[in-house]
Amino acid sequence: MTTTSKSTSRKLTIARAMAEAMAQEMRLDPRVFVMGEDVGPLGGVFGNTRGLFEEFGAERVRDTPISETAFIGAAVGAASDGMRPIVELMFVDFFGVCMDAIYNLMAKNTYFSGGKVKVPLVLMTSTGGGYSDAGQHSQCLYGTFAHLPGMKVVAPSNAYDAKGLMTAAIRDDNPVVFMYHKSLQGMGWLGTEKGATVPVPEESYTVEIGKAAVVREGHDVTLASLAAGVHHCLRAAKILEEGGFSAEVVDLRSLVPLDRETLRESVAKTGRLIVVDEDYHSYGVSGEIIASVAEYSGCRLKAAPQRVAYPDIPIPFAPTMEQWALPNADKVVAAFHEMMKENRGENS
Amino acid sequence: MQPTTEQRLWMYRHMVLSRYLEERIEELYMEGKTPVFNMAKGPIPGEMHLSNGQEPCAVGVCAHLTPDDIVTATHRPHHIAVAKGVDLDAMVAEIFGKATGLSGGRGGHMHLFDAAVNFSCSGIIGEGLGPAVGAALSRKMQGKPGVAVAFLGDGAANQGAFHESLNLAAVWRLPVVFVIEDNGWGISVPKQASTAVPRNDRRASGYDIPGMHVADNDVEGVFAMAGEAIARAREGQGPSLIEIETSRLAGHFMGDGEEYRPKGEKERLEQRDPIPRYRQQLLDIGALDETSDAELVERAQTRIEAAIRFAQQSEFLPPEAALEEVFA
Amino acid sequence: MTSDIRVPEDLWEGDTEGVITAWLVDDGATVAQGDLIAEMMVEKAQYEIEAPVSGRLVIAKEEDEVVAKGAVIATVET
Repeated sequence: MTTTSKSTSRKLTIARAMAEAMAQEMRLDPRVFVMGEDVGPLGGVFGNTRGLFEEFGAERVRDTPISETAFIGAAVGAASDGMRPIVELMFVDFFGVCMDAIYNLMAKNTYFSGGKVKVPLVLMTSTGGGYSDAGQHSQCLYGTFAHLPGMKVVAPSNAYDAKGLMTAAIRDDNPVVFMYHKSLQGMGWLGTEKGATVPVPEESYTVEIGKAAVVREGHDVTLASLAAGVHHCLRAAKILEEGGFSAEVVDLRSLVPLDRETLRESVAKTGRLIVVDEDYHSYGVSGEIIASVAEYSGCRLKAAPQRVAYPDIPIPFAPTMEQWALPNADKVVAAFHEMMKENRGENS
Repeated sequence: MQPTTEQRLWMYRHMVLSRYLEERIEELYMEGKTPVFNMAKGPIPGEMHLSNGQEPCAVGVCAHLTPDDIVTATHRPHHIAVAKGVDLDAMVAEIFGKATGLSGGRGGHMHLFDAAVNFSCSGIIGEGLGPAVGAALSRKMQGKPGVAVAFLGDGAANQGAFHESLNLAAVWRLPVVFVIEDNGWGISVPKQASTAVPRNDRRASGYDIPGMHVADNDVEGVFAMAGEAIARAREGQGPSLIEIETSRLAGHFMGDGEEYRPKGEKERLEQRDPIPRYRQQLLDIGALDETSDAELVERAQTRIEAAIRFAQQSEFLPPEAALEEVFA
Repeated sequence: MTSDIRVPEDLWEGDTEGVITAWLVDDGATVAQGDLIAEMMVEKAQYEIEAPVSGRLVIAKEEDEVVAKGAVIATVET
């Protein structure tokens, strides 16, 4: 592992923050181990297990065959038998070959045992596109996982949250799906988002699962998002500020549990909501967020909520098409201006 | 490997217990479901997959296990649960959906979990294998004793999970035994229409692990093969695969018309019912006599009746308890 | 005194240029010898740059800049 830094400012990429959280927990708790494809000497295709193999060896950092049904099923069995596995599903798009182990076993064993069997398992998985890998390696599928009861779901937007959420996930007695966006990892070839590489304390800490963060305060509109979308929102907020508008940005951080209170408080203040989601438009996170606000009588909306989400299409390969379809700051700004054409009587 | 007299009587007693339980469930299940078969009605709602005929698989294997050892079973789990020592009262109450059931009625007969004896089962074909492999990995990593046994049907041997799990267990040399209960049927589709492989134990060679076969639903044949495989696992020599020719005396589930069975099959299977056969075997070698048999059967029936009474007299949880226990 | 931080000649095989993907300390920060201070990328592989000496870091090459082996990417004022 990295030597203890004496630097006055120390930043980490999300990849390194995840690895540091895992290493610290592995030092504390011999039950914690990592398994997945290429998590060993390679250090993870997305860098998030870098250094673990060198420190903990092949027994606790286990390269698996390309066999997700078996090793995710095995993680459920190990978790139920007293271990605390961290298992990697390399791309979330691969859930099709192992979803039974995830949603029928991992997510249901606690319920079907009347709470007597715990499944303390972290399923970490990469999400997101933007680098022309097309529709089997670029999806977010946040809604797919958050929809299914029995597992927590988190998606950090920066390295500080990534470390704290990973530590919290490992210590949680429930299964936690840790969804990390490839463009935030700090792997240059995936198009690195600079804003995700932030100062991270060396000492261990947790970020509570189920708490959103207001990452920028404002009063004209709430921009709610998660993971990479938060950075689109922050850029949009800057552009709006230049036009004299003040946008609040809510980083959901956790989809299950969902912090509806923070969201509702924000919208109660701003009266306007735009949800930015790289997952598909329909039946997903954006719809749930809007419903959560619409159901709540405390939010007097000044305009119909908007969403900037991925169109309901498989993710195309050609950069022209893919970039056109992805959410970005300009789309958020355009949605805001569209919204401002509507006036629901602010004085009512 | 030959069982001791004590082991023989243990196996016989648990076969009798399991069978009597199934017979009583069969009667009670139909209450409220005739003449109109409404699956949600009656004291035992839901699907019901009875294990009559498959008892040798359960007792021959579990005779070698302790409560510390792990078993994952199938959607047809009762015989295995009985042999593994699952709390009978809580198990039957769970089958009735009652508050005193293993999970308070959240799981039902296909989702029985008894952590005290490391037993679980799943309603999804082939999906107990991965967790068994993982539990075996857990024991190996923690340096704790114990082996894992995954039961599956012959139909599950065509699932990806079967092949992936055998491969992973083999490459990591884990203390796990895969036990195929070959009853010849996947619901209504016969084995030979599902695979060109006549004996699934041969598939073990594809993963470079031992494959063993037990013919004719033979209790002591199962005992011998399972003893060997489990001993190998305990000694750190890795996984094994056993296929047992067994018989599904009931339909796939209760209410099954079984029109798909060839004429005469059921009668033939009933004539080879493993319980009277084993009883005769024990009488022949003097491990049992008519009096001790009658006592054993009566004790088993009394035990099952007590469990059924316990279930019947238990309350249901309040419906809103459905919202609890989603998370630990 | 000022020491240069150069891309080590043996950091990766061959003469391909690399790119700085992340500075893991701020410009002007105090660093200690051996600290991980930057990440570089050559094709899809990642490489680490450590501080050769302790002192105050002055960044010379920004993130996303393409640099060759031996190039000075920062200096440390000791």
